[in-house]
Amino acid sequence: MAALRLDFTLPLRDFELTLALDVVRTVALVGPSGAGKTSVLRAIAGLARPSAGRIELGDETWLDVERGIDLRPEERRVGLVFQEYALFPHLSVRGNVAYGGRGRVDELLERFHIAHLAEVKPGTLSGGERQRVALARALAREPAVLLLDEPLSALDAHTKSQVRGELSELLHGLDLPTVLVTHDYEDAAALADEVGVIVDGKLRQLAAPAELVARPKDAFVASFTGANLLHGIARRAGDDLTEVRLPGGEQLFSSDHGEGEVGVVVYPWEISVARSHTVDSALNVVRGEIGSVVEVGNRVRVRIGPVTAEITASSSERLELARGGVAYATFKATGTRIVSL
Amino acid sequence: MHLAAALTVFAAASLTTVMPQIDSHQQYSFDGSNALASQIRQGAPADVFESANTAIPQQLYDEGLVEKPVVFTRNALIMIVPKANPAHLHSVYDLRRDGIKLVVAAPGVPVGDYTRTVLHNLGLDSALSNVVSNENDVRAVLAKVALGEADAGFVYTTDARTVRGKVATIGIRWSAQPIVQYAVAVVRSSSHKAAARAFVAKLLRPTAQMRLQAAGFLRLK
Amino acid sequence: MRRVVAALGVFLATFVALGFLALPIVAIFVRVPPGRLIAQLGNPVVTDALLVSLETTLVAQALILAFGTPAAYVLASRRFRGRGLLVTLVELPLVLPPAVAGIGLLAAFGRTGLLHTSIPFTQAAVVLAVAFVASPLYVRAGIAAFEGVDANVVAASRTLGAGPVRTFFRVVLPLARAGLVAGAALAFARGLGEFGATIMFAGSLRGVTQTLPLAVYSQFDVNFEVALAVSALLVLISAALLVALKWLPSASTSRFRFATSS
Repeated sequence: MAALRLDFTLPLRDFELTLALDVVRTVALVGPSGAGKTSVLRAIAGLARPSAGRIELGDETWLDVERGIDLRPEERRVGLVFQEYALFPHLSVRGNVAYGGRGRVDELLERFHIAHLAEVKPGTLSGGERQRVALARALAREPAVLLLDEPLSALDAHTKSQVRGELSELLHGLDLPTVLVTHDYEDAAALADEVGVIVDGKLRQLAAPAELVARPKDAFVASFTGANLLHGIARRAGDDLTEVRLPGGEQLFSSDHGEGEVGVVVYPWEISVARSHTVDSALNVVRGEIGSVVEVGNRVRVRIGPVTAEITASSSERLELARGGVAYATFKATGTRIVSL
Repeated sequence: MHLAAALTVFAAASLTTVMPQIDSHQQYSFDGSNALASQIRQGAPADVFESANTAIPQQLYDEGLVEKPVVFTRNALIMIVPKANPAHLHSVYDLRRDGIKLVVAAPGVPVGDYTRTVLHNLGLDSALSNVVSNENDVRAVLAKVALGEADAGFVYTTDARTVRGKVATIGIRWSAQPIVQYAVAVVRSSSHKAAARAFVAKLLRPTAQMRLQAAGFLRLK
Repeated sequence: MRRVVAALGVFLATFVALGFLALPIVAIFVRVPPGRLIAQLGNPVVTDALLVSLETTLVAQALILAFGTPAAYVLASRRFRGRGLLVTLVELPLVLPPAVAGIGLLAAFGRTGLLHTSIPFTQAAVVLAVAFVASPLYVRAGIAAFEGVDANVVAASRTLGAGPVRTFFRVVLPLARAGLVAGAALAFARGLGEFGATIMFAGSLRGVTQTLPLAVYSQFDVNFEVALAVSALLVLISAALLVALKWLPSASTSRFRFATSS
């Protein structure tokens, strides 16, 4: 399939968004609300007009501001799934899916398991069902590019995890350049091959999900991908270590290098939790009050003082962790990264 | 000098300008005489009724709604055209031409009936096919001609004088004129009958009559 | 005790309000026995007026729909400088006294007016007067109806390959239909009852320009029974319109609302 090449500047209400990237498979754009992510999708679809730049698909030019080319939405072969799905309320499910007019309606209804809803109007459908209709409708037109705006946000937690799996399978099977927008890093990581972090109108980092987690370019990316981010003052210590003093007085050691005001990144799953302090190879020990104990699937996230650790549910039970208690979070110096703030 | 409360006088539209000149202290309601009669029948609180003909007050008298009517002045009809005279009319007989926009009052309105009488007397019944609108009172006829929207209209000679700059008049020979007599009557349901009768008497005295004639109304025979 | 008095007061006020509205209408039918009313319908004055009213109001309605719909759509879907002013202009005839509208029409279309036409005193003049006073009702309702169409649904249609025109007919119009129909019915009723502008601009001539309301006025001083009959006819037509509007199956937009949560 042809690649979607984006290189444009889009004026938004408070700032300008600049984006340059190639979409070959699935790219997720993440970032805080208001960063302009939805506007990127609208620009690709032809619903918003960049002030400069180009949008090309393979050898088709959809937008070239300099040359005055700007194809209208109906002329671009996109399939856009809106955040609230934007189904046609006056048409049945079949009517919705058939709207783009390329046939294969029954096949799509079957594929998305909505054939039994064909004659129903969208008003009575559940969130998950509506999403499937929206997807089927977008794909019915055999688009060359698939755009998904917050595909999972309108779903409740239970439906979400199920749909996420189905959607991931679907995207792999489709093999279309796909751009999806989400504010949830977990969703992005699950669905996309590459994740682009957009903050204040700029693309801060574009990499595979694992890469973002392992090597975040800056503090924002780090915190966005679920890491702990601690602020402190760094200075060189012996043994090729860097000592970082936290505002609470704690001393941390990192095998990374830094000086002055820095951020220390620690991943929750690299932190061990104990009820008492035992000396081992872990240089970093943080003693703190247990602020919260949250179950996430079969794991538990425990907040101890300034850090959040992630351990197994059985470990959490064994340690009898509860709010208000005291615990120790330990992690190695090699398990930390220092980033500039 | 007037110490009594103002009377409510229902008067024909053609008296609009002259009545306040005769007695500015009363409350006037000017409209087509038949419309005023309708209102009196429905119980409107009038003290005096002045009509542009004798037939309508006579009807009301027969119905027991007013005291015996008295003729107090006379008028004549005239044909008017806009100052610019877009249809180039120079005599009443030009109304025979096709396509003239003629505005008259509706039948039932005194001046409307008079107009039809005049046309009949002139042998111009066919001119009625040129009528484009039947208005409910003579002022509307006057307005449409003065505005220049109609080519011609029939009003009282007294009306034509009030918009002198805007219309030109075409006289109608005496022999074709209908007998236009205005009659006044005291309304029986009035609670100021004495004042009302005094008002009627005043209309017939020389001062009021001079005013009427100065306005173009005709002398009582 | 206070609550009882308050409740009584509310009940009384409602009774008075509803009674006040219903009484004149009921009185029309009570004053003349139905037999004589129906007999009057054979009166040529009445049938002429009915024909003139129907012809002129229907033509005016067609014009209102043809020109008002795109105007309402443009005003609803685009934001541009001066839009607020245009909307106010469109709504102006609603608050103008009809006589003022009549004068305005004369000043614009009269023989001595701005455009020097020969429209006054013709049936076309009635159509114009009716359209002038009734169209704001339709356009205003149309703007609200079009604004109520979800912009995302319109955008979805475009991304699915439908150009602006196809999108308008396949998505926008069906979703705005209920509001448009209601607006059209209001405009029709207003047009049917139009009097002041008509009598000034078009005059009153039986069989040509004398509509039902004009007939009521002219017959009032001549033959009260005929005036009553025409009034009764107008009440019946207006009531039929309102009932039809309420019972129209697609008049309810509640079908198209659905919960935004999953």
